[in-house]
Amino acid sequence: MKLAKTIIMPHSVKIKRRLHISRKLSILTTFSTLVLAFGVSGIFFAMIGLNPLDVYSYMVGVYTSPTLLLKALERAIPIGLAALGLSIAFRMNFWNIGAEGQMYMGMFASTGIVLLHAYYDLIPDYLVLLLMILASFVTGGLWCGLPAFLKAKMRVNEILTTLMMNYVAMYFVDFLIYGPWRDPKGYGFPLSIPFPEYAKLTMIFGEFAYSGLLLLCIAVALAVVILRYTKLGFELKIVGEGIDIARYAGIRITKVITLGGILSGGIAGLGGLAIVSGIIGRLRPRASPGYGYTAIIVILLSALNPWLVVPVSIFFGGIFVAGDILQATLKIPGAAVEMHQALIFLFIVVGEFLKRYKITITREVVR
Amino acid sequence: MSIEWIEQVLQLTVQMGTVYLLASLGEIYAERSGVLNLGLEGMMLMGAATSFMFTLAYGHLSAILTSIIVGALMGLILSILVVDMKLNQVVVGLAMTMLGAGLSGFFTFPEVRKNLLLRLNPSLPEEVLLIQQAQKLPEIQIPLLSNIPVIGKMFFSHNLLVYFSFILSIAMWFILFKTRIGLTIRSVGENPSMADSLGVNVYMVRRMTVILSGVFASLAGAYFFIGFHPFWREGVTAGRGFIALALVILATWSPMRAILGAYLFGGVETFQYRLQLFGLGAQSPYFLAMLPYILTIMTLIIISTESIKKRIGAPASLGIPYAREE
Amino acid sequence: MEELVSLRGIIKHFPGVIANDNVSFTLRKGEIHALLGENGAGKTTLMNILYGLYRPDIGEIYVEGRKVEINSPKDAITLGIGMVHQNFKLIPSHTVLENIILGLKKSGLVIKSRKIGEEIKKLAESYGWRINPNAYVWQLTAGEKQQVELLKILYRDAKILILDEPTSVLTPQECRILLQALRRMAKEGKGIIFITHKLDEVFAISDRVTVMRKGRVLVTKETSETNMSELAQYMVGRPVIFTIEKKESRPSGEAITIKNLKAFNDKGVLALKDVNLKVMKNEIVGIIGVTGNGQQELVEVIAGLRKASGGSLIVDGVNIINSSPEKIIELGIAYIPPEPLRYGIAPNLTVLDNLFMKAYRYKPYSNGVIVNWKKIYNKAEELIREFQIVPENPYAKARSLSGGNLQRLILARELSGLIGEKIPRLIVAAYPTKGLDVGATEFVHKTLIEYSRKGSGILFVSEDIEEALMISDRVAVMHDGKIVRVFRPGEVDIDKIGLMMAGVEIAFK
Repeated sequence: MKLAKTIIMPHSVKIKRRLHISRKLSILTTFSTLVLAFGVSGIFFAMIGLNPLDVYSYMVGVYTSPTLLLKALERAIPIGLAALGLSIAFRMNFWNIGAEGQMYMGMFASTGIVLLHAYYDLIPDYLVLLLMILASFVTGGLWCGLPAFLKAKMRVNEILTTLMMNYVAMYFVDFLIYGPWRDPKGYGFPLSIPFPEYAKLTMIFGEFAYSGLLLLCIAVALAVVILRYTKLGFELKIVGEGIDIARYAGIRITKVITLGGILSGGIAGLGGLAIVSGIIGRLRPRASPGYGYTAIIVILLSALNPWLVVPVSIFFGGIFVAGDILQATLKIPGAAVEMHQALIFLFIVVGEFLKRYKITITREVVR
Repeated sequence: MSIEWIEQVLQLTVQMGTVYLLASLGEIYAERSGVLNLGLEGMMLMGAATSFMFTLAYGHLSAILTSIIVGALMGLILSILVVDMKLNQVVVGLAMTMLGAGLSGFFTFPEVRKNLLLRLNPSLPEEVLLIQQAQKLPEIQIPLLSNIPVIGKMFFSHNLLVYFSFILSIAMWFILFKTRIGLTIRSVGENPSMADSLGVNVYMVRRMTVILSGVFASLAGAYFFIGFHPFWREGVTAGRGFIALALVILATWSPMRAILGAYLFGGVETFQYRLQLFGLGAQSPYFLAMLPYILTIMTLIIISTESIKKRIGAPASLGIPYAREE
Repeated sequence: MEELVSLRGIIKHFPGVIANDNVSFTLRKGEIHALLGENGAGKTTLMNILYGLYRPDIGEIYVEGRKVEINSPKDAITLGIGMVHQNFKLIPSHTVLENIILGLKKSGLVIKSRKIGEEIKKLAESYGWRINPNAYVWQLTAGEKQQVELLKILYRDAKILILDEPTSVLTPQECRILLQALRRMAKEGKGIIFITHKLDEVFAISDRVTVMRKGRVLVTKETSETNMSELAQYMVGRPVIFTIEKKESRPSGEAITIKNLKAFNDKGVLALKDVNLKVMKNEIVGIIGVTGNGQQELVEVIAGLRKASGGSLIVDGVNIINSSPEKIIELGIAYIPPEPLRYGIAPNLTVLDNLFMKAYRYKPYSNGVIVNWKKIYNKAEELIREFQIVPENPYAKARSLSGGNLQRLILARELSGLIGEKIPRLIVAAYPTKGLDVGATEFVHKTLIEYSRKGSGILFVSEDIEEALMISDRVAVMHDGKIVRVFRPGEVDIDKIGLMMAGVEIAFK
């Protein structure tokens, strides 16, 4: 006797890797994940009795008011610089999650120059900012160059070393500012002396341009030139494809990884300069509210493209500013900003999955 | 330095270390199976916030149980993202840390907390709704033993979670190294495709260990808050999740060595505060605070050398998503 | 005699190739059955089907007379089938005992290590092995690791054992121990399939032998009823008369001289024992030999990708041994690697990137810091035309190219004189036609011959004797890390070549 067996599988989920990701699909997915992230945050805002649309309009307001936009820009600069640094490390598949620490080292170095100038008068006024830039680049660079070298020579896991070094850098700055670098006239507050005007990133040519923006643009240009036009940029790309293939191509791997690490950390170090010298005007403990981690979201959302870093970091700078405003006006907890960012972050990552794979849900009849 | 002072420092060392011990136990299992859970800090914060709210609403037992559930949920989300969807573990882990920090701060924000507490337990008196602290877990003094000079307080004067964590570490060491379950977990972390070919369900093992790491992280957060430092503020765990992450490496993925490492880190941290009281230089606490991280970096370098790697190196597939071939 | 396994009419396609073409195979109880054939003959595919790693397109599998479906290694293990792969699947940081019992329920929730340890020891001793169950696998020699692999299977009471080239990593002493143990297992009634391409092993161990070639079974015979030269002929095939137009070579000056070269393989075994060979300019020297006799290590040492432990490589009177790959590239030594997708191509990068993966750093494409992409783009377009790479778009991802086009890409990169605008002095080509279709193969042949007549010296490693004889001006036979003999095509007949490859000493007239 024959029994016809028919099984209906209600959900047959098939996941297939896409061979080609079209630009349209890519933009569409990114856009819709952002919308979703805002939607979910909206639910939380609604839970505390706020109209999500009000919250969104405050957020949009940041980007339409010139003064607020400038504030967003101020914050976008350290974020953007750190992200540009990461663009170099990520290109060679070096998972630098230490931009935060590299920024603290940048803050340390730039404050050091200011103090050398102020306490010992070793540096003429006009050289101060230039030396700060140099010093923060070098110090940040070494802070990432070390884990890069360890990775290249001994395959020490860079994710863990760069992460751990963030805390070392942070406590080092804590030590300085609670100790020898505390402003003697600061009533015991853990603050350095205020930076003189010529050590700050300020408006130049009157109200027309912000020197921090200039720094960011130079860094974008630097990253673009390095990644697209130099030998090193091409070598980073090949190392990123795998050690075997890079060896085959005759690339000096240790040199490339270490140099890439130094550049990556150096640019992030400039981000530290942008915090103390652009936003705060002096050194204080815990001066970065996690810009180094935000930078990871920024560079992933920019798909490692330096040009996109500028608008994307202005967007995230705006989210920080909006957070401050919402806290002050609507009494929204600061944590909401962090949550909002985390949601954007998570949805982007899931979006990457959706871009890479095609998911079809079918009702399949199996006989 | 009196005897009492020493006794107190030793007692606090163990109590502080327990935070790291609990969080690292789950993480050891996750990493042994090949998954790096960088969301530890966020999960700890969620546990701390949950225990805060539920201690106010229904007391300690409910606080501990709910924080376990919350941790399991966080672990489940993480496992779906990194085990099933095979997304990058670093990126997702960091996102989970941010999410945990954000959510925990959000739900404990005075306005939100008030509403939530009223919903949880409408009979709560008004003055409880807005206080920033909760009742601490009671310490259980073991009679006689806790009176032993110097070490009595260190070993025999703690709340239940401290005793529990100590026994649990030994049990989890035993499970990991002496049972079939542990062997399966370790093999999945070393060579998932081989384990798969021998009939091990790699995905299920990893899901379970990741959920476990969520549970333990959350429990560690709950312990930290109601068992050690019951004063709420946003981000109350202050990066201790990352110290726990460091501890896993220092302990080279062994629950037994984690006990030693945890009390070492606990001691270092206790000293940071105590030395300040003695005015022994304002600098020392910061260098002590760096110490766990520096020790960990050195450990990482040592276990990356060829001769040591094969003995106690990191699990070979740590951080690499498993995808079945063909 | 009772049949343990019967594979009937197995057909298995992979994109572009038939790996198994209507193959039937039986294994009897208590026999050692050698499965003989060149690499790529389809032996491993057939065994992977039996072990559940692949599913056949068509065909039936019977185990002990019952028709079965094997969808995974787990199913195979349940049916009593065990396989020892060429690369050991062991966890070095775990103990022998832990490796053996992984996935076994009978080990108990708390592992009864003393009891199991005793069992393992006893089992090992019954085959004449001494194994400490509590030793870590990283402490073991290759031979001991293999014993652990076998114990893993035997401890699961497997009746059917598949061994994929089990002697390739063993020393002669270890080999003897293994063969003795296998005989004992057969006596106990287990069936053993012994995959090999070494003729002497077939006669040393097997009861029956099956020869495969190009996806088909040619013959199955009792080992006692055949002899080496018959099997060699089956394995290698009848010489087919190829005609390829080739001008007489006029060797002029040395391209490279290899002297007493020694090197270890990845497993720490001495794979190059003493290689001596000279390649002249304007000449193709073919290297033939059974895969795994040191060919891969030889080409890697020349390319600077593997450290040599002794000997010298002489180019223009200078010993260049253990120079960096960069230095070797600059000397004009081109390298066409085996398995291009793993070693020679970055699949996620563009055709242009792949073409200039080596030349980007030299003039005129770079001034030392900046890369001149304009020049590179123009040159890339030129190369794409010259080497007929499809698609013609320099920005196409390498991943989207077919195998033949990837090989054209590699040829274009390696041969076209991108570095220093000279053609290479030496081209090391490792299995350059493996897996390619007829057209692409012909293109590779033509190109190599053309360059050899323009002045390059070529070292051409092949698995295919006919191909090597057709292309080469001289042929070197490699066996066991040494060059056994060098001769001109036509000087030695093909049966004898087969025997030399199998390691049989041949007296020449």
